[in-house]
Amino acid sequence: MIWVVRLVVLLPALAGLAGLLARRTPLVARGVAVGSAVVVVALAVALFVAPMDTADIDSVGALPLGNLSAPLHLLSDQLSGVVALVVSLVVLTIQVFTVWYLRDDPRYTQFAATVSLFAAGMLLVVASADLALTLVGWEVMGWCSWLLIGHDSERFAARRAAYKAFLVTCVADIAMVVGFIALSVRARSTDLLDVLTVHPSAGTDALLTLGLVCVVIGVAGKSGLVPFHDWLPDAMEGPTPASALIHAATMVAAGTYVIARLFPLYAFDDAARTVLAVLAAVTMVYTALLAFAQTDLKRLLAYSTLSQVAIMLGALAAAPADVGPVPAVSHLVGHAFFKALLFLGAGWLAALVGATALDALRGRARDRRALRRAMAIGLASLAGVPPLIGFFTKDTAIDAAVEGATGGGGLRAWIVVVALFATTALTAAYCTRAWLLLDTPCPTPASTSSAANDSFEVEHGGTRARSLTTSAFDDGMPLTPLAVGEPGVLTTHGEHKPITLTASLSVFALAALTLFGTLLLLGLDGAVHVGVVSATVSLLFVAAGAFAAWSMSERGLRDAAERLPTRLRADAVIGFGADTAYARVGSGVTALARLVVVLDRDVVDAYPRATAVTARQLGRIGVRLHRAVPASALLGVVVGIVVVAVLGVTVWQ
Amino acid sequence: MNGLVIDVAALWPALFPLLGIVAVLVVDLVTPRLRQAPYAVAVVAAGFGAWTSLPGVLQEAGSSRSSFCVGQQGWFSSTSAPPHIAPTCFWQADSLASGLQLAASLAAVVCLLLAWPIARSRADAASGAPAPARSGHTREPVEAVLLLAALAGTVVLAASRDVGTWLVALELATLPVIVLVALAGRRRSIVGAVQLLVTSLVSFALLVLGAALWFAATGSPFLDPEAAGGAAGSPVALDSAGSAALLALSVVFVVAGIGFKLSLVPFHAWTPTAYSGATLSVATFLATVSKIGALAALLVFLRAVAVLGTPGFVAIAVLSALSMTVGNLMALRQNDVVLLLAWSTVAQAGWVVLPLVSVSALGTGASAAYLLTYVVATLVAFAVVALTVRDSGAVGRSLVGYEGLWRRHAWRAGALGLALTSLAGLPPGVIGLVGKIVALRPVVAQGWVWLTVIAAANAVLGVAVYLRWLRPVVTSVAEPAEAAEPVNEAAGSAVVAGRALSSPRVRQVRRGAVVAALVISAAVLLVVSVQPDLLLGVLR
Repeated sequence: MIWVVRLVVLLPALAGLAGLLARRTPLVARGVAVGSAVVVVALAVALFVAPMDTADIDSVGALPLGNLSAPLHLLSDQLSGVVALVVSLVVLTIQVFTVWYLRDDPRYTQFAATVSLFAAGMLLVVASADLALTLVGWEVMGWCSWLLIGHDSERFAARRAAYKAFLVTCVADIAMVVGFIALSVRARSTDLLDVLTVHPSAGTDALLTLGLVCVVIGVAGKSGLVPFHDWLPDAMEGPTPASALIHAATMVAAGTYVIARLFPLYAFDDAARTVLAVLAAVTMVYTALLAFAQTDLKRLLAYSTLSQVAIMLGALAAAPADVGPVPAVSHLVGHAFFKALLFLGAGWLAALVGATALDALRGRARDRRALRRAMAIGLASLAGVPPLIGFFTKDTAIDAAVEGATGGGGLRAWIVVVALFATTALTAAYCTRAWLLLDTPCPTPASTSSAANDSFEVEHGGTRARSLTTSAFDDGMPLTPLAVGEPGVLTTHGEHKPITLTASLSVFALAALTLFGTLLLLGLDGAVHVGVVSATVSLLFVAAGAFAAWSMSERGLRDAAERLPTRLRADAVIGFGADTAYARVGSGVTALARLVVVLDRDVVDAYPRATAVTARQLGRIGVRLHRAVPASALLGVVVGIVVVAVLGVTVWQ
Repeated sequence: MNGLVIDVAALWPALFPLLGIVAVLVVDLVTPRLRQAPYAVAVVAAGFGAWTSLPGVLQEAGSSRSSFCVGQQGWFSSTSAPPHIAPTCFWQADSLASGLQLAASLAAVVCLLLAWPIARSRADAASGAPAPARSGHTREPVEAVLLLAALAGTVVLAASRDVGTWLVALELATLPVIVLVALAGRRRSIVGAVQLLVTSLVSFALLVLGAALWFAATGSPFLDPEAAGGAAGSPVALDSAGSAALLALSVVFVVAGIGFKLSLVPFHAWTPTAYSGATLSVATFLATVSKIGALAALLVFLRAVAVLGTPGFVAIAVLSALSMTVGNLMALRQNDVVLLLAWSTVAQAGWVVLPLVSVSALGTGASAAYLLTYVVATLVAFAVVALTVRDSGAVGRSLVGYEGLWRRHAWRAGALGLALTSLAGLPPGVIGLVGKIVALRPVVAQGWVWLTVIAAANAVLGVAVYLRWLRPVVTSVAEPAEAAEPVNEAAGSAVVAGRALSSPRVRQVRRGAVVAALVISAAVLLVVSVQPDLLLGVLR
């Protein structure tokens, strides 16, 4: 069993390496990527069914760090079993889907290898019982996200989005590293058990608070809490499977898992939890509002991810100590299933239509029954409709927060509870809006063409298989007005489904998990715990939100978001200028660096330069004194003798 | 008085140069027209000298190869000496002395190769040039004999253990060099020789005075710790304090006298004049073999007084600091590479005596180690200069002549770069860096803070000095420089073309010796740079 834990981490990493080695033969690369994912699922099932409840599994041996012990252990328990299973399932479906989605991409093999490596990073975070290993997995994910988002590296927007994601998360990682160091120094060990068992001493423990707050900031970077949130919508420039991977079960959710692991410490530290609560509450409401106004399906889903991850973190911030981190992890699981489903469905739809702008997708789901059902299940689950998994996990999180608020959590928990209910209504509203748009047939096709050139449209053909030549659309589906001016089209088969059976099966598998995944969670203590009152209230909010959106859209005939003031909507689409703010911070840092350079060059370097000038002047004087005359040489000798003799006799001993 | 025990095997390093002198004279008598023959013989003699000093280098620490031993403490005070004392020897070459002997012999080989004469045919072809006709055919054997004589003096100096041998060997090592400088025959070389001679006379007077004071203080002609420690046998009736003061004065005079040979400031004034006046090979000899001899002489004396356990010599510290600073400042202003190397010698001499402020085995070993790194690197630099001068004429003596050397002669530029970085103490010249650290260690250990600060500042200045030369080597030739050069080069290139046309083979031979010198010295520098333990281990 020990080897199972090690293999769960090692196998995807090896698969990534093997995939790179076999990049000349796509068939082998496909086999490696999908095959390894299947094996990892089997291993994860073993870990889920029979967790070992140990945290002393050696990985690569302890690091020799003097008096700081770093045993680099792995762990296996119920929590890690569930998350590992979910991660491996989602990765498997994504790998299968990718085989179809990027079948004509010349760099499919690199993409699949990166996905494998990404999975290895996430599984390392999941199985790690050591802060150092957690950090390694964390950074591997950060690096892989850069590769995945920038997969279409020939497009400027993709490159920019990749760098943006990398830089923003890395800046937050500075705090993460500082936080881990503070926690390790406090425990004199990086081992998770040691870190957790050093309980706070009497009074305030400044080092603990510093460490926990810094970890919150680091998590805020990767999970997209408010000042760091803007990288995630831009990350939609990556191919849809990459988006699904980043959003559903790995990078974004990793923060939840890390804080869940450290929960025993957070339970004792109100300051860090208050920071987390405020950030999560602001993020979940703000991004849900932004999601409502989006004009692009993928960006809408991205904002919904931010909102949902904030729900998990809010549950962690508000849950009482005895409830623990399980509700948050439970919502992580639920979110992983329905968000992966939504992204793959959106990718499927976009591949059929050729765009991801909502205007272009209007009514497109209606005549594709399987896809329509899948999207319906996903959106309903996101909105929190019973009996889908989203309902159970979200209401478990709400219940935990309410329990925390009524159980002495104070203002911190109440903020979260209020934000949670508001978010519930808003989520229902934007889900309803998206569904109505996808499902209602377009009244006049002509009107969409004007929207096609909408400047808000983000992804210009990025989700498409770009290597398809234009000669491929000789028959079948007529060009929609949208596709005009965009290189390449998506399908050669018109109304027929171009999707392969296996790829569609992967989507259906996710739909099934969204329907029945709750059963998986029953094995985890406290993972499904729906309070009657809170569930009723949240259902009311869901109904209210859905009804509001429905009525705003005039029974689906219009886009609900069109009721918003145009100016406000335009600002919301670009995230209220967060990107500009980031750029300002960047140029501020550059300006500061320039100032330092100037100071260094003109102030600090003045001294060395003065030394150089002095040396040159002294040398000139010396040259003048040295003429090739024996007399002056003798004079020097005589003076030298006198000086040396005097020194020698007077200073002797 | 017991009989004198003579171990000839220990004497070979000195005997071979002397035999070489005889052989050179004989060969010259037999074939006076063969101009390379004296040098070939001299190279062989110096090479054998180096070979025979190897066993002395490899012997373990503490032992020494001795010769001319007498059974008792000395002739003069045999009645007062304890009877069981170990025999005293006039010739004692321990591993440190043997190491210096080996280095001197090898450096002499390189100098001889650099001095390899111009072939006769070339002299006929370019008879218009002023150089050859003056000294006729006698110049080569004289030069070879003088070089070998100076080498013999240096080798004896390292192993001498009594005042008489010490003084005679010192003169033997110095006087031939003065003649060699004068032999170049130019006006500047006469000036340099005169300056050298005058300074050397005064210094020798000082040395004799120092030796006399030593004898007065200790009553022993032997420069060994027993004599210095038991200063009781003094012929002059003195209390111990008076004897110590005499000893101190003698040490100071000896330091001053040898300071001339090491070109320590303020005894250095002859250095740039003599270097620029002499031929390149003689300048190389002055910069390497002469310095080895000077340090050997100083070490003989200082190891004898080390037993007194003095905290250190302020006089040496002052001389060292002055030399480094003045040498570097002056070198920074030179555009003539020989003058630059001359002032670099002054600065490096300061580094060589730096560790001697602490009178200890650590200090002497460090000093010798630093000297050897300096000698190897300087040999390489001079060999590159000699090669460049032979290629491009007088331009090779100025920094301008080295512009773009990297593109024209990559290997040569690489050797020069290694030599300069070694002198500056920067990687890839690792040995220079190691040498500087080794030299600073005793100073720091004894708490000479001000001296350490000055040394550190001079290390930085030194980097500037040598990088000033290295920069044109690695940068590409600037356009204006190329445009200006033909004016200077026209004569030189015409001569070069003439040479090449008249006798390409002879020219090849001429260069061959210089190239061999460069290859030998650069190989040694490379080996000790890669494996500094080889050099440091020799002197342990």
